[in-house]
This record gives sequence, structure tokens and C-alpha cells, in this order.
Amino acid sequence: MIRIPESDRLFRFINYAFLCFILIIVLYPLVFVLSASVSDPALLLKGQVWLLPKGFNLDSYARVFRNKEILTGYLNTIKYTVVGTAINVLLTIMAAYPLSRKDFVGRGLLSAFMVFTMFFSGGLIPTFLLVRDLGLYNTMWALILPSAVSVWNITITRTFFQTSVPFEIQEAAMIDGCSNIGILVRIVMPLSLPIILVMIMFYSVGHWNSFFNALIYLTDRAKYPLQVILREILIQDNLSEMINVFDEGVIRQMLLAEGLKYAVVVVANLPVFLIYPFIQKYFSKGVTVGGLKG
Amino acid sequence: MKRTTVVVLVLLAVLAISASVAAADPDYLNKTGFPIVKSPITLTMVVGHSPGGSRDFNELLVYQEYEKMTGIKVEWTMIPLSVLTEKRNLLIVSGEYPDAFHSARFTEQDLMLYGSQGIFIPLNNLIDEYAPNLKKLLEEHPEIKRGLTMPDGNIYSFPLIYDPEFASVLAARKLWIKKDFMDALGMESIETLDDFYEYLKGVKNNDPNGNGIADEIPILVSSDSYLFDTLRGAFGLGNRGMAHQHVDVDPKTGELRFIPTSEEYKAFLQYLNKLYNEGLITQDMYTLSSAEITARARDGLLGAMITTNPRTGYGVEGYIGAPALEGPFGDKLYTYVNSPLVSVGAFVITDKNPHPEATVRWIDYFYSDEGAKLFFMGVEGITYTTLEDGSVDYTDLIYNNPNGMSFTEAVSSYVPYRNGGYPAIVKEAYFKGSEGQPDSIAATLPLVPYFPEEIWPPFSFTEAEMDVMSSIGADIDSYVQEMRAAFLTGNASFDDWDRYVSTLERMGVKQYMKAYQAAYERYLNQ
Amino acid sequence: MARRILRNWDLYLLILPVDFVIFHYYPMYGVQIAFKNFMPVRGISGSPWVGFRHFERFFNSYYFWRLLRNTLGIGVYELLVGFPFPIILALAINEVTNKRFQRFIQTVTYAPHFLSTVVLVGIVSMLLSYNNGVVNSLIELFGGERISFMTEPGWFKTIYVLSGVWKNMGWNSIVYLAALAGVDPELHEAAKVDGATQFQRIIHINLPSIIPTIVILLILNAGRVLSVGFEKVYLMQNSLNMEASDVIATHVYRTGLLGAQYSYAAAVGLFNSVINFIMLVAVNRIARRLNETSLW
Repeated sequence: MIRIPESDRLFRFINYAFLCFILIIVLYPLVFVLSASVSDPALLLKGQVWLLPKGFNLDSYARVFRNKEILTGYLNTIKYTVVGTAINVLLTIMAAYPLSRKDFVGRGLLSAFMVFTMFFSGGLIPTFLLVRDLGLYNTMWALILPSAVSVWNITITRTFFQTSVPFEIQEAAMIDGCSNIGILVRIVMPLSLPIILVMIMFYSVGHWNSFFNALIYLTDRAKYPLQVILREILIQDNLSEMINVFDEGVIRQMLLAEGLKYAVVVVANLPVFLIYPFIQKYFSKGVTVGGLKG
Repeated sequence: MKRTTVVVLVLLAVLAISASVAAADPDYLNKTGFPIVKSPITLTMVVGHSPGGSRDFNELLVYQEYEKMTGIKVEWTMIPLSVLTEKRNLLIVSGEYPDAFHSARFTEQDLMLYGSQGIFIPLNNLIDEYAPNLKKLLEEHPEIKRGLTMPDGNIYSFPLIYDPEFASVLAARKLWIKKDFMDALGMESIETLDDFYEYLKGVKNNDPNGNGIADEIPILVSSDSYLFDTLRGAFGLGNRGMAHQHVDVDPKTGELRFIPTSEEYKAFLQYLNKLYNEGLITQDMYTLSSAEITARARDGLLGAMITTNPRTGYGVEGYIGAPALEGPFGDKLYTYVNSPLVSVGAFVITDKNPHPEATVRWIDYFYSDEGAKLFFMGVEGITYTTLEDGSVDYTDLIYNNPNGMSFTEAVSSYVPYRNGGYPAIVKEAYFKGSEGQPDSIAATLPLVPYFPEEIWPPFSFTEAEMDVMSSIGADIDSYVQEMRAAFLTGNASFDDWDRYVSTLERMGVKQYMKAYQAAYERYLNQ
Repeated sequence: MARRILRNWDLYLLILPVDFVIFHYYPMYGVQIAFKNFMPVRGISGSPWVGFRHFERFFNSYYFWRLLRNTLGIGVYELLVGFPFPIILALAINEVTNKRFQRFIQTVTYAPHFLSTVVLVGIVSMLLSYNNGVVNSLIELFGGERISFMTEPGWFKTIYVLSGVWKNMGWNSIVYLAALAGVDPELHEAAKVDGATQFQRIIHINLPSIIPTIVILLILNAGRVLSVGFEKVYLMQNSLNMEASDVIATHVYRTGLLGAQYSYAAAVGLFNSVINFIMLVAVNRIARRLNETSLW
């Protein structure tokens, strides 16, 4: 009979208390954002909205969705994200696995060089020239290929492979005549479901939120991703143009922009935000080493 | 006989030469009138567009109409303002730049750089031959011409000009006072800084709206720079206009004066500090966003504000324009006045352009009366109508748009001016923005006599001078801004004024002023 | 050794495309821009060489030390304070037995990551507002004096870092949670039999199993110490708190406004990268000496 030590109950209580505290701190501003997105902007600005919506209206959302380009924006972003992430994850695994192997000669050198590129790159101009020379300007690939791999993510994935997949198991498989790629697919990947899911999330969110590259490399409005459209809708507070055309329309818009900020945040992020809750259950469903031993 | 031959030969030679010079007008071009070209041509233009402006010039009514008039089709590429500088550079680096850049916000430095490399072509002769409207403007207002001319003597661009007669847009932001509060406090007028101080005190303490609560706010602005720029004229500061933040002319010596270390500036800061200490101005202006300030303004609780027009800007009525306030030394100057030359590099023609003459004619139209009307008001009968007294106003298509668009959205759907930074002249008759409103114009009238006698356009600096401006100048600018906020709020004590002055000197005010002096002398001699 | 290389030929094949992408897309010749007076017109190779002039200008700026102090200060503060939080959070969440509550907590804590910086700063300003902010009202309630959080330089770093922690701790904990998912439950069973308390189990089983991940992330984050981002600082900056809020990124932005300062920005960026890289190498070396996990 396994005894449950007394201190465990205390610990469990502290743990729950701590998490509840965190929950409240985090939850409050989130609820605020949701409330603000459906509140009267004038009240918002006067600081009269605290927790629950005041002056309930869906104007902000109406304003966002009135723009027909939102739909194409969403479709484009989904396309770029799915394709981009698939390529990203594939390449990341392909790079991380060799680097995780102790017996891979040159791994130190390669790792160092890759990390080096994280810090020193030519910047926008050479990359732009390259993209243009390759004929990728104004295409989806200009958004995907230059950022096809993130050394940061490769490093994390590699670390995961190293710690969660003991080398002995791989050696055993090698002795059994399994090829390296076979090991990767049949042993390492099943054990690495959690990190693969994490990579899918990291890369997806990265694609989902990107807008700068789109502005630089795309000229067709029809190809614009969601974030670009949303940013345009959100007229920035400082219309710092020399001619300030202030008039009733702009004031209404500026006020609307307050509520709009929050509506935009919700519309922009809801889909991507929902990925994780769906993925979560697979974290624990991943096979562990213990499971493999049998 | 021989002499006659010589004379005849010389005459023939002269004729031949002048004929070749006169035959400069290209064949494809009509020198005057519309269409501009004998058979249609196409030009490519890249335009910087701000989020409040039109989305696609290719579909814009005004430009479609203009194409019909001129025979010139323009293929527009829109670049969002947020990436304009990067994308501009990239286009030039990759060699993929268009025939012309429109509203691309090039600075004097850019113009010098690209002009000297030949990417932007010099326009002096072209303007002379084919741009009668701009040419007339430059002749009537030589200071604009001087500002437009680069140190190498060339003009590389068409500018954004505020009509020098359009006072209300030059002095875009004014001080407005709430009439009801003045009446409630028994003040007939506010003429001096002391009057202003008394007024603000009254608003704060004497409950002018009579509701028993001290909810009135004496004055609220969205940036402390508005405060500084509006009131500094009462100390005689900034007497050459807004294009020069830190430099003007000392009336006593006639030499250039570095404002931030002058005694008058110190007195000015002390005045503002007094206001702050009594709670008449608060640090809200540093922390509240302009949208939050808008919300407070709409409640009608502000005793004073600094804006283009309270009615159109915040939707509040009952504010009148304040006169030029007189300061303690007897100065009565309103210096929050922009130079008519607002933006130098609004339109440039590149060396890739096959038809520069036609392009010049194309853009010059917008500096004429008719062209300004087209640019700002649109097409008669569709977007605007002419009223009995000859003035023009938008139609219901704009004011009560059938598709539910707001005023600004409707304007941007047909007319290009909301993109900003454009090559054109802003005239009172055709500008319906808040500066063009009747109450703004009325509020500006009493200020005009107190405008600076001379308003300098921005100076153009040589590369060496630019180096100084962007290193020492940038640091000086940061320091001055930080310190004036510190003096105003009392975070820095006036006992430390000498230390402030010596820090500035250590930063290199001397070099800064030397560069300024050189640019100034060049300006005078042009 | 040659045998090992040959045996693993397929591994080299595997990593090839990635090398290709990296080498291709990180054209490093562009680094030269920092040493030249870049003129877009002439292209990179055509622009004149100016050596260290831009760097000198940066180092000679009146504000250089302040910029460095602020940027480094914020970066190190973030590392010291911000780094442990996600780890603690992950360990705590991992102990929750009720799956639904666990999912709820995870979802809620990772949500703030998706808020735009503009919204985040807006909320922070609102909560800390001198006049109507909740925090100040509470302070007054408990008999204290109101604090002008948003204008006092002394508070800047703290607000910046803590709001960042709030925003990202959930998101950053995900990696640790993934690592924790790989912990063999049999180890826990065995420990329980031995009478270990929950706390002891966490410290002796969970924590060690994620140490490699922690170390790697620590090294990587050390390599970001000077990279204090522009947007958030810019939004939180005002004339009154500049003493603490002026960082390298905002300084470059301001000088850039005066004209085409492409090379200057590139030079400052290079300086940033060099310092960051040195930090990374240093921490990596320490890590290598202390345990077996390191970047290379």
C-alpha cells in the first residue's frame, strides 16, 4: 500500500492556490478585452469600463467584417500558414535529428554555424534582391522560403530528441539493421509527438501573425494576409500627416478605433488561439519511452 | 562683299543655333491645353498611401477622369506608409523603380542623394518650359523656390504647398477658449499671458459650468509640443516659423539664435512651470492617448484646447479662437505657423521616364486653380457642386453616402488628397478639412497680423552638415525635449539652468549652429 | 571516424536542404552595409567604404551609455525575472490531476500571448493610470500615496518586464510542458513507493528531466539580451520617463526619422548582434563546464 505523505496534501493545496492566483491575474485582462470589444468606445476611453461591457454594441465587429477583404485575408493567411508550417516542421525535424545524434560527425561545427546565422545576416536588402532574382517577388513563396527554418526551433527540437530518445534504443535498432531514416520515422517521431506539436504551434502562430514581409514582398492586394488588412482597418491614433483632416467622420473613426483595437485582436487571433486546446490532449497521449520498452 | 558674307554667315549661324534650341519641344507633346499628348502614353508611378486614404488609385474617379482629359494613362502601385521607406529603397536598389514617385515623402537629403546620382532628374528647365502654374508660384514666392532648390542649384521635385494666402492652414493649430466659461468668469477678453493664467485659474477653481463639481479641466493637449509651439510667440520665440524648431533670429542682434538656451526661453518655461505647479496643466498630457483626450473634450469640460477646429475635431461647440497673447516683455507674436513649403519631395521624376515633359505637364495642372479643384473636390456634378456665390461644396455622395461610408471614407473613394504628402497646392477655396471651415478661418484672421514677418522654408543641408544634424542635432533634440518636460513639471529645478546650458554646449551647440549658419547663408544667397 | 561519417551518409542528406536554405537566405555579404555609406542607388558594392565611422558616431552619442544601460538593464532583468516563471508555471500545471482544470489553466495562461502590443500597453496604462487606475485606487485604499507609474523612470523596467511575464509565461511554459510529457511515469511510481513527497518528486525527477531544455533556452535567451524590441518601448515611452525608457531601438528610430540612416541602423544592429553573440557564447561556455548540455 503506497502511503500518501501528509505534506502532499499541503503541497497540492499550495499548488492549486498558486494556480488560481495566476488564473485570476491572467483572466481579468482577458475578460476586459472581450468586454471592451463590445462596449461603447466613448465610455471605454473615459475609463468607465472595468470588467463587464458597458453600452453593449457590436459596432466594432461590424466595422471589421464590413470589409470584404477580410475573407480573402483569412483565406490567404490559412493557406500561407498551412503550407508554411508543413514545410517548416519538416525541415526542422530533418535538421534537428542529425544534430541530435552523438555519432554525427561535425554536429558541433554545424550547430555553431547555424547559431551564427541567427545573429549575423545581411538584412533586408540582400534578402530582397535574392527573392527578386529567384522570381519569387509577389508570390506566396516569398513569405515562406526565406523564413523556412528557425535555428531557435531546430535547437529546441534537437534538445528534445536528445533527452527523450535514449541513444541505446537507437543503437539497438541500428544493430537490427534499421537505417537512420527508419529510426527517425519509427522510433524517434512517435516518442516526440509533444515537441512536434509544439513546433506546429510555434510556426503556425508565426505565420499567422506576420505582416511585414507581406507588405514588402506582395503587391497584389488579393494576396494580402489577414494581419495586413486588419492593420489598415485600425487607423492608427497618430495621423501624423501634415494636413490633419479632422472632421466628424474621423472623430467617430478615432473613437471607433478604440473599440476596434479589441475587436481586431479577437478576430485576428481567435482561430489560432484555438489550436492549442485541441492539441493539448495529444501531449499526454504521446508514447513514452517506458511504453516502448515492451 | 566679304563683310556682307561674314554677316550673312553669322546671321545664318545664329539662326541655326536658335532653331535647334527652339526645336526642343518634342513631337509627341502638346505644349499647352488638353490632351497633353498627341497619342496616348502610359506612365508608371509609385505612390505612398496612408491608411486613411484611397486604396487603389487605379480605380479612383479623379484619376480616371484625368486620364480622359490628358491622354496619359498612369499605372499606379500603392505602397503602404508603414513600409514606404524600406520599399522605396528596395525598389531603387533593385533597379525596379518607376517613371515617377508620387507622394513618396522624400526628404531633402534623399533628393540630394538621388539627384546627384542621376536617379532623379533635374527639373529646372522642364519647369521653365512646361510647368507654367508652378513657375508662377515660384516667381511670386521666392522663398518657396529657395527651399525647393538643392545646394547644387537644381530642383529635383515638385512640392506640397500650402497656399500662402490660406492663413488658416498655415496656422493649422490654434488656441481655442470656451466662450461660456469666459462669460461665467466675467472675462471680456484674454489678451495677455497673465489674462490666460487668470482664466485657467478661474476654470479650475470657480466652477464656471455651475454644477457644483470641480470637473472642469483648464486645458488639455495631446502633446506638450502644442503648448510650447502655440505660446512661445508671446516671448518672441520662433520668429521665423515652424520649419525651424530650435533656431530663429535674435531681434536685438539680427544673428541666428539658438532658442533652447536663450533667456526668453527660460522665462517661458518658468511661466509654464507656474501653471503646472498650480495644477492648471497636468501630466495627463504625457500619459493620455489622443483618443482618450478626445473623449474628455467631447464632454465640454475643457476651458481651453489647442487644435485645428474643436467643432469638427471633437464635436464640441462654443469655442472661440484666442488672439495672439502678449507676453511679459511685450512680445505679441504668433509663431505656430508653418512654412508654405510643407513637403519638398512630394513628386519626383526618375531617369527611367520616357516622357518627362508630358509628366511635368501632367503634374503641373494640379497647381492651377482648376487642377486644385479636381484634386480636392473631384468631378463637378458627381462629387461636388458649385453654389450660387461661386464657392464649391461636396455633394450628398460624400456627405450622406448611400453606401453608409463616413465622410472621410467617401472622400477617399473618389478623391486622392487624403493620402497625404502629395504634390499640389492647398487652397482655401477647395479644402474642406477642418482648417478650411469657416470658424477656423475666422479664428485665424486676428492672428494674421502677428504672424512672423518672414517664414523660412526648411533649409537644405550639405552632406557634411547633415552629418552634424543627424548626430549632434538628434541628441540635442532629444535632450531639449526631455529637459523642457522636466522643467515644466518641476522635475528639474531652475537652479540647475546653468548646468542644462553647459550640457547643451558640451553636446555641440556650436557645431550645430555653425552648420545652421552655413545653410542659412546659402539660403539667403539663392 | 571516416567509418562513422560513411555510415551516417543519410543523415547528411537529411540536413542538406536546411543548410541550403540557411546559406541561401542569410546572404551575409550584406553585413558590409554597416561599414559603408550605403546609397541605395549604388548598391552595396558600389557604396563608399567608411570603416567604423557609424560606430564612432554611435559610441560618441551623448546618450550612448544611457542607451546601453537601459537596454542591457531591461534585457538582464527580463532574463533574471522572466525566465524562471514559465518553468515554475509548467511544473505547477503538470501536477494538476484534473484534466479539465489543467486544460483550462493552460488555455487561459497562454492566451495573453496573442494580444497585440498596442492592446497590452493600453491595458497596462489603464490599470496603472494615476487618476483612475485600479492599482492606484487600491494603494490609496490601503493608506498609501498614489504613484505615477507611467511617468516615473524608476518604475519603467519593472512594468516592462512584469507585463512581459504576464503576457508570455503561459506561452513559454509550453515547451517545458512538452518536455515534462516525456517523463517516464514509472519513475514516479517507484519514487512514491520509496515514500517521496510530491515536492521531492518534482525536484528530483521532473526538474532534472527538463534541465537540458532549461539550459538550452537559457543560452538562447542570453543571446537576445540586447534585443529589447522597439514597439512596446515606443508605446510606453514619454518625455518624462526617457531616462529609463530610451533604448537602442528607439534611439535608432528617432535618428532614422531625420533621413536615410540605413547604414547607421545597420551599424548599430551589428553592434547589438556582436554583444548578443558574445553573451551567448559566454553562457554556453559556462553551461558546458557545468553540465553536458550546451549549444555546441
